[in-house]
Amino acid sequence: MAIQIRFFAATLLVFTSVLIRNECHARAPQIDFDREVLPVLVSRCLECHNPTDFKGEVDLTKSQTLLDNPQLMAGGKASESLLWQQVEQDLMPPTHPLNASEKAILKGWIEQGGQWGMAESIDRFAYTTENRAGTDWWSFRPISRPPIPVVDANQPAKNQIDNFINDKLKANGLAMASPADRATLLRRLYIDLIGLPPTPEQLNAFLSDADPQTYAKVVDGLLESPHYGERWARHWLDVARYTESQGFEYDRFRSNAWHYRDYVVSSLNADKPYDQFIKEQIAGDVLGFAGKDSKVTSESIVGTSLLVCGPWDQAGSSQANVKQRMTTREEELEDLVSVVGQTFLGITVNCARCHAHKFDPVSQEDYFQFKACFEGVKHGERSIETAEELQARNEQSAQLRTERDQLQIVRNSIEKQAREAVLQQIGSSEKAIASVVPYARWNFEKDASDSIGDLKAELHGGAVIRNGRLILQGESQFAKTAGLKKELKEKTLEAWVVINDRQQKGGGVITVETAMGATFDSIVYGERQSGKWISGSNGFVRTRDLDAKTEDSPENSVIHVAIVYRGDNTITVYRNGTKYAEEYNAGSLAVYPVESSHVLFGLRHTGAGNGFLKAEIDSASLYDIALSDSEIEASFQAGPHGGPVIKRDELMLAMSPDVQKTFSDNGKRIEILNSQIKRLTKPNVSYVGQRQQPEPTHRLVRGDVSQPAEVVNPGALSRIAKLESDFSLSENAPEAERRLKLANWLADESNPLTARVMINRIWHYHFGRGIVETPNDFGFNGARPSHPELLDWLSNEFVRGPNPWSIKYIHRLIVTSATYQQSSSVNSEAVRVDAENSLLWRYTPRRLEGEIVRDCMLAVSGELNAAVGGPSFMPFKITSFNSDFYQPIDPIGVEYNRRTIYRAHVNSGKSAMMDALDCPDPSIKTPARRATTTPIAALALMNNSFVQRQAAKMSDRIAAIGPAREVEYAYQLCFSRLPSVDEKTEAVLFIRENGLESFCWALLNSTEFLYID
Amino acid sequence: METLRNSSTTTVGSFWYQDRRRFLADASAGLSGIALAWMLQRDQVALGYSEDGPNGQTQFAPKAKRIIHIFCGGGVSHIDTFDYKRELELMDGKSLENKGENRGFFGQPGKIMKSPFPFRQYGESGAWVSDLFPNLANCVDDIAFIKSMVAKSNNHTPATFHMNSGFTLNGFPSMGSWISYGLGSINEDLPTFVVLPDPAGLPAGGSINWTAGFLPATHQGVAFRTQGTGELIEDLRTPESTSLENRKASLAFLQKMNHAYAVQNSGDSTLAARVKSYELAARMQTTIPEATDLADESEGTKAMYGMNESRSSGMGRNCLMARRLIERGVRFVQLFSGGAFGQPRNNWDAHESVVENHTKMAATLDKPVAGLLQDLKQKGMLQDTLVVWCTEFGRSPATQGIDKPGRDHHPDAFTCFLAGAGVKPGFTYGATDEVGFYAVENPVTIYDFHATILHLLGIDHKRLTFYHNGINRRLTDVHGEVVGGLLS
Repeated sequence: MAIQIRFFAATLLVFTSVLIRNECHARAPQIDFDREVLPVLVSRCLECHNPTDFKGEVDLTKSQTLLDNPQLMAGGKASESLLWQQVEQDLMPPTHPLNASEKAILKGWIEQGGQWGMAESIDRFAYTTENRAGTDWWSFRPISRPPIPVVDANQPAKNQIDNFINDKLKANGLAMASPADRATLLRRLYIDLIGLPPTPEQLNAFLSDADPQTYAKVVDGLLESPHYGERWARHWLDVARYTESQGFEYDRFRSNAWHYRDYVVSSLNADKPYDQFIKEQIAGDVLGFAGKDSKVTSESIVGTSLLVCGPWDQAGSSQANVKQRMTTREEELEDLVSVVGQTFLGITVNCARCHAHKFDPVSQEDYFQFKACFEGVKHGERSIETAEELQARNEQSAQLRTERDQLQIVRNSIEKQAREAVLQQIGSSEKAIASVVPYARWNFEKDASDSIGDLKAELHGGAVIRNGRLILQGESQFAKTAGLKKELKEKTLEAWVVINDRQQKGGGVITVETAMGATFDSIVYGERQSGKWISGSNGFVRTRDLDAKTEDSPENSVIHVAIVYRGDNTITVYRNGTKYAEEYNAGSLAVYPVESSHVLFGLRHTGAGNGFLKAEIDSASLYDIALSDSEIEASFQAGPHGGPVIKRDELMLAMSPDVQKTFSDNGKRIEILNSQIKRLTKPNVSYVGQRQQPEPTHRLVRGDVSQPAEVVNPGALSRIAKLESDFSLSENAPEAERRLKLANWLADESNPLTARVMINRIWHYHFGRGIVETPNDFGFNGARPSHPELLDWLSNEFVRGPNPWSIKYIHRLIVTSATYQQSSSVNSEAVRVDAENSLLWRYTPRRLEGEIVRDCMLAVSGELNAAVGGPSFMPFKITSFNSDFYQPIDPIGVEYNRRTIYRAHVNSGKSAMMDALDCPDPSIKTPARRATTTPIAALALMNNSFVQRQAAKMSDRIAAIGPAREVEYAYQLCFSRLPSVDEKTEAVLFIRENGLESFCWALLNSTEFLYID
Repeated sequence: METLRNSSTTTVGSFWYQDRRRFLADASAGLSGIALAWMLQRDQVALGYSEDGPNGQTQFAPKAKRIIHIFCGGGVSHIDTFDYKRELELMDGKSLENKGENRGFFGQPGKIMKSPFPFRQYGESGAWVSDLFPNLANCVDDIAFIKSMVAKSNNHTPATFHMNSGFTLNGFPSMGSWISYGLGSINEDLPTFVVLPDPAGLPAGGSINWTAGFLPATHQGVAFRTQGTGELIEDLRTPESTSLENRKASLAFLQKMNHAYAVQNSGDSTLAARVKSYELAARMQTTIPEATDLADESEGTKAMYGMNESRSSGMGRNCLMARRLIERGVRFVQLFSGGAFGQPRNNWDAHESVVENHTKMAATLDKPVAGLLQDLKQKGMLQDTLVVWCTEFGRSPATQGIDKPGRDHHPDAFTCFLAGAGVKPGFTYGATDEVGFYAVENPVTIYDFHATILHLLGIDHKRLTFYHNGINRRLTDVHGEVVGGLLS
């Protein structure tokens, strides 16, 4: 009630003052707030004086502010009005003062009593101004249904697209170029749709078929080709910032990221409706993501990789400093918001993290409610199996294990019998003995000498030998041997050790390492999990946390620990003769070179700050082979100092031929079973990220983690006409629910941005330029559409046409238009009017993308391996030194002749040739490729070994055709046309003097090969 | 031709011995001279070669024409090199508590540790330098130290990216790319932006550090392989399997084809530019090996760069090569000191022991950088060359962990220096507090640092922009003020 009275009083006051003013200046024109004042306020004042930024503690979006701060208007006395003073003296706005007419409006308004408009508060995004887009911005408005322009009968028109294009051309006094000749058109179509040139056979078949439907049939055929998806997925991956390594410091290889690449390829090949494609990539792991009946599948789970397929700062995310870690996480989420905002909406939502978007109607609240939808998305791998798939795999694996274990029992008993037989022969009374001679053994009797070979260790840092043990205090004591006399890969580490300080962390018992410890394997105690043994390794690359018990043996007992590194890359840790935990696959084993590698005792690796062990080592052994389960057991039984030794071949001799056969057959079968089990125990994981229920999201003042403001609920952008941005979700809404709502919002057929943005992308790739030239930015800073009606007409066709959300339907419309089928010939009058060809008076020639250059080279050389999908080929060597480093190489082999989209796309190991041909960094969201022309690119094409090899292969292929037709065939392969008489004459002459291979080299370097026109 | 004259000189000590033989062969076969007569006639085709960008357009008179940029990976300790703090000696072993927020990476600050290195004053300017840099110390009268640098990130890669690209994230154009884009090339026969990694290995992030980001690929840094004896630049040499006569004929055939195609499609100037790009490429096949061949440098010069000592020979070679490249018209040469992160330490990341780590690293860098400054000065090149020496962040006045001899990352204060064109010589700008914890006098952000460097090159950092995905991007994001106090 009080408020009402106050408001009433204020209104009365304003009203009275208006009356007084009007009396004095009866002739002054009445200022209209909504029409005149509001645009000035919105465009010149509200950027700072709004409730969020609240500069000078003045919020000019509300009428209440004027009432609360009477000095602002000074009751209509301009000279006393604070607002007018600031404006008149050009103090406000600070850098760009108001012009005279803006000032006149404000002054008049103040003098006329500061009447407010219809709404009590102004939405500062309501109107587009000179400086920013408002909610009335073209791309935020609903998609219109423009009439199809009527054009002259003599203008070339094959479908409605042409009417729009012709209409605009005519208005500018221009007309389309003549149709392209059929050979040129066919090459353009092939490379555009599948990224490969037509073969001479395909070319000839097309040219000789007079049926007017031939072209449409070829289009259908190409859209059905598996190569179509390979070609167009690359476009999508550019936008999705798809990368197969982490970037940042560690730049680790993501060996399981390729599933997403295959997902995009197969989705496009299947012409998956675009709305479903969107929903899968945002929420494909959520039940009901595409309607009540939709089921989560491996495929739909993989779709969500989009959220995490960009770079990730693992070092920053795991650092001890909490605030910096939180900042890293905010950066990560900004990247996520930016990829979703730009990819699907063409809006740089990410620009509103620290303040309202400077150019587009996106508030900071919008940013944070959008971000809240993704707050639970984290980087990492996860299983992409459905529950049924998981169960089937587990059952199969259990069956194989049973079979293996039975065979192992038989084998163990044979071995045991044989051992006993040998023992009897040599008359030993020992109960059990080691069956294998170590490569080196240290008993630490008087010194640290090797009782088998001569790999003696030297004591360092105060280590001593006492009572037949190496005594280590865990401070600086260790022992180190001379260099290994043979290269080691497969191996076994073994030690008998007394370890009474059970709380210690990270000490190594026995270690094999390279010179400075850059690579090592070690029996390590308590490093990652307190009280547990692990196989330590450089950067933990061959280390796994084990599901094993913590050390609980009685004090002063000697513990036997052994680690076996098998040739099949499995690592098994044993304790007291039995498996300590399930073996695991380490990917690959380290190789320890002769001489430059050595053994350490009591230190995890050279340079390890916390790697010293506090313990007594009774004895230790190094084997240059991987011991079997029973050999480990036997060695344990033999005790710290071993017993008499039997070699493996002696054991075999003690078996009858039949038993020998069973023994070795069993061994082979176990190996097979083990590898099958290994495959089955590996869950089908992919880099799709992990999900966890997040804490409520706060708006952060200036985007700073140390300045949390109010809680924000998950939601969408609030300024899009006819779309509800409020998801009715609470701050604690389930993680999955948030993404589900956002997915549906993005794919809502009334979302005007979604369809327009995708249509524009498709158009862009067909013509080398979009209707909107900035495909990732439909905001104020982006380009305006050259053909807005056409964009809306196509968007309508896309959403509500005969094939809703079908991308292939849009391809067909575009490539069968006369617009697409024009020639590229230049018309000087048109150049004068529209040099950029934005009106499409011809087809603009363009250079092929780097990947397509490489693919086309493989195609014409006949070397292309057309295998589809699967893990990426890796044209680089990875060296790991805490971080992964990628050294590009040019490996030879069928595997490497696959299409370039199957190349592992990593951040730092880029190919010089691909770089020079403008392949972008994977971490950059790239909606449009460039085509630069540089001497570095020329050097790559001239000298790169890949190009030389393809030239040689192509020359073999052409030579097989025979000298009479080789030039023709080469021209058809590379240019999809026959040479002119002059060209042929010159080529023949050149080949005679310089050879066919040089000729092929020149064709692969030629502009005509590298361009479509 | 100079290159031919050198063909008989001994190449012992030459950087790329194997390359050299081949390059001389390339040169003698005249590949660099294939400027075909008909190409010069130009027909109706404009043989313009430029990328979109404000190439060559400075916005006001530049002081510097070119830059040598030395980046020290890992984070150089300011208080153990140039920022002498007597107070640290008095407070040695005391607690750093209440000084401020610890922004270290490992979050386990120990006690204050005085610098283990003695400091002395040098030159007329009397600048303090620790015994880590006995040679560089003699150059202080040519140097402007900035002792009040402040970094944004405490984490290596974001901090490295920030110093090299103005952003803490992957994928933004590096400073060299921006400058290439802004100013273009001085000599088309050489790359505009060359990167010389530490012979000890690539920095973390590898080529991300010299990416052109969203700028045209022309502006990407060309990284030379400074490790081992392989090819200097990939694809620079004509393959062994191709005879040079053959290559010459093939190039002529190719150029004729490409020229005909360009004439036929005369509306597209890039087609003509392709013809020219092959001509430039062929020239680079001789200019780059010549520029990087150190055989004609005197033993005295090499010694001045520390090339006669094993610990500094690698960086010495890089510094000398940098001078040769700059001399021949490369616009921006970036040198990296230090390789990847982790253990054993291979850059300035002195977590375990400042003495051990910084002694080793400084020994690789001291003579080479001192030699470079001296040499540039002797040749009169320091007048229009800017030398930038910078790092990721500083290191904490306290130890990392109690009673340990290492220091953790410290983004709140560090030291960089500039020398040469347009910079006050023998000068110190800004200061840290009594223990070197905060930059208290005239703090300089990395944005300010970049704005100042661009200013020296005649570029207004607010006007060097490139549109990408909705934003007119700048090297300095939306920040940065030129540090007027540094300018001579």
